[in-house]
Parts: sequence; C-alpha cells; structure tokens
Amino acid sequence: MEAVIRTTHLTKRYGTQKAVDNLQMNVYQGQIYGFLGQNGAGKTTTIRMLLGLIQPTEGQIEIFGESLLKNKKEILRRTGSIVEFSGFYENLTARENLHINTRLRGIHKQNAVEEVLEIVGLQDETKKTVGKYSLGMKQRLGIARAILHHPELLILDEPTNGLDPIGIKEIRRLIKALAEERKITILVSSHILSEIEQLADHIGVIHQGKLLEEISFEELHRRNRKYLEFQVSNDNKATMLLEKDWGIYDYEVHDGGHIRVYSHFGEQAKLNRFFVERGLEVSKIRMSEDRLEDYFVKRIGGGTIG
Amino acid sequence: MVSLLATELLKLKRAKMFLVSVVGAAAAPIMVFIGYLDMKSRMPDEPATFAKAFGETNLYVLLLIGSLLYGVITAYLFNREYAEDTLKNLLTIPVSRISLIVSKMVLLYLWIMVLTMFAWGLILLLGLIVGYEGLSADVLLESLTEFCIGGSLLFLLSTPTIFITLLFKNYVPTIIFSAVVVMGNVALANREYKALFPWSAVHVIAEHAFVPEYPPFYSYIAIAATSIAGMVATIVYFTRVDIH
Repeated sequence: MEAVIRTTHLTKRYGTQKAVDNLQMNVYQGQIYGFLGQNGAGKTTTIRMLLGLIQPTEGQIEIFGESLLKNKKEILRRTGSIVEFSGFYENLTARENLHINTRLRGIHKQNAVEEVLEIVGLQDETKKTVGKYSLGMKQRLGIARAILHHPELLILDEPTNGLDPIGIKEIRRLIKALAEERKITILVSSHILSEIEQLADHIGVIHQGKLLEEISFEELHRRNRKYLEFQVSNDNKATMLLEKDWGIYDYEVHDGGHIRVYSHFGEQAKLNRFFVERGLEVSKIRMSEDRLEDYFVKRIGGGTIG
Repeated sequence: MVSLLATELLKLKRAKMFLVSVVGAAAAPIMVFIGYLDMKSRMPDEPATFAKAFGETNLYVLLLIGSLLYGVITAYLFNREYAEDTLKNLLTIPVSRISLIVSKMVLLYLWIMVLTMFAWGLILLLGLIVGYEGLSADVLLESLTEFCIGGSLLFLLSTPTIFITLLFKNYVPTIIFSAVVVMGNVALANREYKALFPWSAVHVIAEHAFVPEYPPFYSYIAIAATSIAGMVATIVYFTRVDIH
C-alpha cells in the first residue's frame, strides 16, 4: 500500500530539548490515522513540520511519495489542514474568509464556497462576521476551508479542542463523512483516547517526542480483548470441560491456573457454579475493565492519557 | 501577486483601522488650521498662504504624525496575521513568504499615499473655505510633489518597522520604536544632523531643506541604507522563522 505520509528520523530540537525525536511515521492511503499523545508530547510540532511551518532539525518528510522540502508547493496544494484553533479575519463573513482561499488557491468553481458551507452546515450564516461565531462554528468553518480545494490529504490538529459535546460529535461526524464520501486520507491528532478510538482506524502514539507505536485499531482490540478470568485449581480439567460442555474454544491459559475466556460475558456466575459442581476450586473471578486505556498508560510508562 | 493584493484589500473590509488612520491623517491639517485661526485672532492683518500651510502640514506629517501613524499601520498590517492566527492558513495554501511581505508592502504604500493625498486635500479644502492666499498651479504641484516624495520616503523607511513587528509579533515594540523615531525627529529638527537621521532626512529631502554641513547624498544614503537593511533583515528572518 502507498504511504501518503512517511517520515524518516524526523527530529526537532529546541536547544538541547528534543520536541520530536527520531519519528518514523507511516500513514497510508485511505486511513484515518489517529495521532495520540498527551499535551506537549510533540503532536503539534510534528504536524507543523508536515505542513512546512516548522523546519525539522533532522530527518525527512515524504508526502504523496515526494520530498516535502523539494515539492512543498505541490504537496500543500493537495493537502488541507487545521492547526489547533482555526484563525479567521474576524471582520469578514464566512464567505469572505473562504473567498480569500478560493482566490489564492485559484479555485474557479462557481459554487465552491457554497458547497463547503453546506457540508459544514453554515450556509445560512450569510451576514454574521466570523468575530461573532462560537468556537464550534469556527472549527466547522475551519474544516470548510480545509476541504475547499478537494484535498487528498487532511491534517487536523486537535480539531475538537475546546468544543462542547455536541460540537465534538458534529466534527466527528464531518470527519467520518469526509473519509467515506471523498476517500480522503486523514491524520487527526488528539490527546483524548476515546476521541481517537471513535474516529480513527489506525493509531500512532507519541510520548515525549517519540513515536511509541503505530497500530491498527483492529489489531489493538484483538490484543486488548475483553475477557472473563478464572483462577482454578486444575486448568487442564477446566479447559476440557469448557470445550466439552460449553463449546468454548476462544480462551487462553496463563500461569497459576488463570484461564481467560473471551466470550460468555455476564455468565461468570454460571461458569463458576459449573466449575465448583465438577470439583474444581475457583479462587478468583475477574472481568477485564477498559484495557485500552491501561494499555496506553503502560506504553507511556505511567501517568494518564485521555 | 494581483490575487494576494486583492485579498489584502478584502481583509480591510469593515476594518475600523482604515477610518482611524484617516482621522489620524486629518490631525496635521487641522492643527495647522487651528494655528491659522489663532494667528488671525492675534494678528488679523498677517496673510496666510497656501504655500506656508502646505509646508507646515508636511512638516508635521513627516516628522510627527506620519512617522507614528504609518508605524501603527505597518504593525496592524503585519501583525494581524499573528494576532488573528491566520498566518498558518496563508502559508499552507501555500503562499510564498516573500510574496506575502511584498503584497503587504504594496498595500502599505497605497495606504500611506491615500492618507498623504487626504492630508493634502484637506489643507486645500480648509484653505479654500477660509481663503488662504497665493493659490496657483505651481504651489499646488510643488506641494503635491513634496507630499508624495515625503510619503514615499517614509514608506521606504517602514522596513525596520516591519522587521520589528515580525520579530516581536506584537504591536507594543513597534509603537515604542515609532515613538523613539518621532523623538529623534523632534530632537534633531533644528540641528544639522537632521540630514543624517533617516526619518528626519525625509523632510530634508522632500522640502529641499538641505544643510551645508551634509550634502544631499548623505540624506539619500541614510534612507537607502536603513531601508535596505530593514528589508534584508525582514526577508532573512521571515523566510527562516518557524511558525508556531
């Protein structure tokens, strides 16, 4: 599969401090890539480097298979972006703000502005200047501006930052719709795990400037599946009984008589009685909690994420 | 470049700054007019001429209000992309950093010339209303030329102000710098060094008020060197700086 974004040894140093450290990122065609990290982890610095706003200290950036350094103009023409909060000329209306972009991008399509305003639901705000917009409206307008020229790649840095739950839901719906309808590759950053989880199909975790992991959510969920755990006196007998009498084959046996069953949630009491009635001692029953968050906390070596 | 300039003009729509600058530009002609009324009340027989009114207004514009007002306009034009957080949008369109600077400078020049013409026109209007003496085509042409030369040279000296604005990304250092320039103008107004200090040299050149100690060449060099140094510093800095 073709990598839309590929960074090699990407590093940004401020004095002796590394804001981004040897980052090797790969975003493939059609992905919604969630870029997850705590505040200050290096997400925005990375994104600004991808957009040519910040010069890397070391390393290379390739977008659409071309070097950003050599083909910045062409690459940015095919890219749309929101970097943190969307800035607008507050004395102008939404249409006038977008007209600046159509003019500078050389977009001649008659209804280009109306089309994107309709997509983000701002088509009726004709007279209000952007200075009177709420944060949510500005972020929606930011998305409208980012997709005005039909980009193949969208880079969105914390697009839901500061929004209320309804605004967050609206932006999420918009991003998903863009990915599905326009087949745009999307890189979206956030410090909120649940946000990324609901939006992205792939994830890159950055911590202290280092990319710790790149993985698909499918693989992640496979690794972090929900389970019922029993600690029994005889794991061989227990697994044999599970297969024979319950038809359960999706389980794992761990040290110390721990058996993890990946189905039959809510039936732990019945399973417990079943084991006891067949002469097995059950010393512990546990259902796994939301392990995804634990997983990331473990990956970043403690602290909190999301 | 035409598109960039068109968008720069669009950005001024509904912006109060333009109106504020017009009010600011009216200050010099009105001050001179008030001076005329005061003189007439004290010495009714003393004649007031257009040539004197234009000369005094140009003095106030070039040495006082212009240096300050054009500094504030420069800060407004160049800092608003930072203040309104719109720079990252422009640069990811992508717009070349040098083109952006040049388009804003073209707009700044147009703005300065509009204000210069407004100040000149206001003196003419007030003079016609109260009946200044000595109106002739020569006086009008000469004064208009002097106003235009003064405005153009002050524009050339906007490059250090642009650099300071981009460097500090704030209005305050620029306003302090402009105030220091005005202070320098005032301090040197009656000294021969006025031909060497770039901002007061503007008035020396525009009004042909050269001093014997320093031939015109010195004044031209002072302005050119300051303008070029400011431009080089602006371009080197702005094309290399990270946009946060």
